[in-house]
Amino acid sequence: MAEERVRSEMTGKVWKIVSSVGDKVSDGDEIMILESMKMEIPVMVDTDGTIKEFLVGEGDEVTEDQEIAILDV
Amino acid sequence: MSFDAILDDYEKRREHALAMGGPERVARIKARGSLHARERIDYLFDEGTFIESGLFATSFIPESQASTPTDGKVCGYGRIDGREAAVVSHDLSVKGASSSLTNVKKMRHMRETAIKNGMPLVLLNESSGARIPDTMGAVGTGALGQDPEQFIRRREVPYAAAVLGPAYGTACWFTQLSDFVAMRKGGVLAVSSPKVTEIAIKEKVDPEELGGWRMQSEITGKVDYATDTDEEALDLIKRFLSYLPSHHNERPPEAAAPAGSDDAGRKILDIVPAERQKVYDMRKVVAALSDRDSVFEMKPRFARAATTALARIDGRTVGYVCSNPLFKAGALDPDACDKVTGFLVLCDSFNIPLIFLTDTPGFLIGLAGEVKKAPGRIMNFMSAMQLCTVPKISIVMRKSYGQAYLNMAGTRNADEMLAWPSADIGFMDPNVAVNVVYGVTYEQDPELFAKRLKDVSEASSAYDLASIYSSQFVIDPRETRRTIARLLEVHSRDRAGGISRHQLGNWPTTF
Repeated sequence: MAEERVRSEMTGKVWKIVSSVGDKVSDGDEIMILESMKMEIPVMVDTDGTIKEFLVGEGDEVTEDQEIAILDV
Repeated sequence: MSFDAILDDYEKRREHALAMGGPERVARIKARGSLHARERIDYLFDEGTFIESGLFATSFIPESQASTPTDGKVCGYGRIDGREAAVVSHDLSVKGASSSLTNVKKMRHMRETAIKNGMPLVLLNESSGARIPDTMGAVGTGALGQDPEQFIRRREVPYAAAVLGPAYGTACWFTQLSDFVAMRKGGVLAVSSPKVTEIAIKEKVDPEELGGWRMQSEITGKVDYATDTDEEALDLIKRFLSYLPSHHNERPPEAAAPAGSDDAGRKILDIVPAERQKVYDMRKVVAALSDRDSVFEMKPRFARAATTALARIDGRTVGYVCSNPLFKAGALDPDACDKVTGFLVLCDSFNIPLIFLTDTPGFLIGLAGEVKKAPGRIMNFMSAMQLCTVPKISIVMRKSYGQAYLNMAGTRNADEMLAWPSADIGFMDPNVAVNVVYGVTYEQDPELFAKRLKDVSEASSAYDLASIYSSQFVIDPRETRRTIARLLEVHSRDRAGGISRHQLGNWPTTF
């Protein structure tokens, strides 16, 4: 099984994690919500897989392109 | 020699040329699941319309002539949905479809004939690059460059390309010059092959990494669509061309609007949330405003904060330029600027009216953007937009701030400026402005923050914009589609026959 790293699309703050480790996800599914530019930005996966680990927690600041979760694909 | 003998010889030569690189090489191409050069042409053109040019062309080197039927590039003319087009179909079974003196002449003739007669040029690309030994030495290389117009684009006619295998050298160059590119997964688009790269600079690189579909459709944005099969790539080329005129001196073709095309536009408020911090997918708005099933998104995997799409409204081709709040909150980054600039060039060159849908917190600021020359990209976008002379209709849906307001054809940059009653226009997001202007944050003093927020939010509504006639219409969002359709009738550009001034015709979009 290969790993796929989910990256933050932009600099901001993790507002809510809306999925859990072990969840099965499909291309386009929302796994967390960032807050940036005064907006709620969904983080969507672009592949099918299972969430293996979150590399950030709610309230953490993230930068553009930072790895924020790992999927088993 | 009798005519029978002459014709017998003719038939043998013809069969030899049509057999391409021979059964074994052709079988190898088929074994990887793709069509060969002639099957691609058959799939592309209306049945029975293909007429081949240069069937008996070969290498100029006498000892290579027998092994170079058509010299590796099958060329000619045919009809796509009844309209003429010229094609260059690279034949990998003949010396890797490498470029040589003869086949470059064939390509030149296709390009010149397409431009002279006003028909699209379709490039079905896969090639190992320049042919050795033909291009060796000063005599070989110096014999190239006979055509001082070879790589010029004036966009008199559309170029549509498919990358259907390895595409190096000329196949790569002409892909870069094209207005639309579909790429079969497994194809490689690069200056030079991994093998040459390894020999020349000792860099071991995987073909997929060097120029595979993911990189080209998501990072460089050179490829509009990646496909699983040749057929899908060819279908996409046909679909792309269906929105465009055959040449720059005619209006785009029209298609009947399917029944019920007005229905979705009336439900637009189900897509766009009133709360400005909530995001939504602008592509759904584009679909709702357009004729049913008529939307053809360009570069859907690249720079997604901007959505660019061809579509039809009441049967007429339009081009949408939008910020998409679903990605990066709709904040336009340097890649998004490049994507929009390229699309403006396409639409202006082929007389396609532009619809700007704006809901953006502005251009994305920060270090990452500056390193990618954000200011230059923003000005390229702005300059290109101001040079466009096709009708421009700009609509502020929710947010539009700062320079992004102007880039999205704000005020007189559009022929007509529309605002939804939910629009908010200003020099920056009011929540940020309070801090910038007054140095107050919500956390420090919620009461003072609220007061200052009210101050900076004043006079930023759609009605304020309309009061100084910087927007000509404030509209019920549910009336957007019908209003656009009506305004397109008004802005017909009838004096010029619907033809733009083509000030962007030779703008380089090879970003």
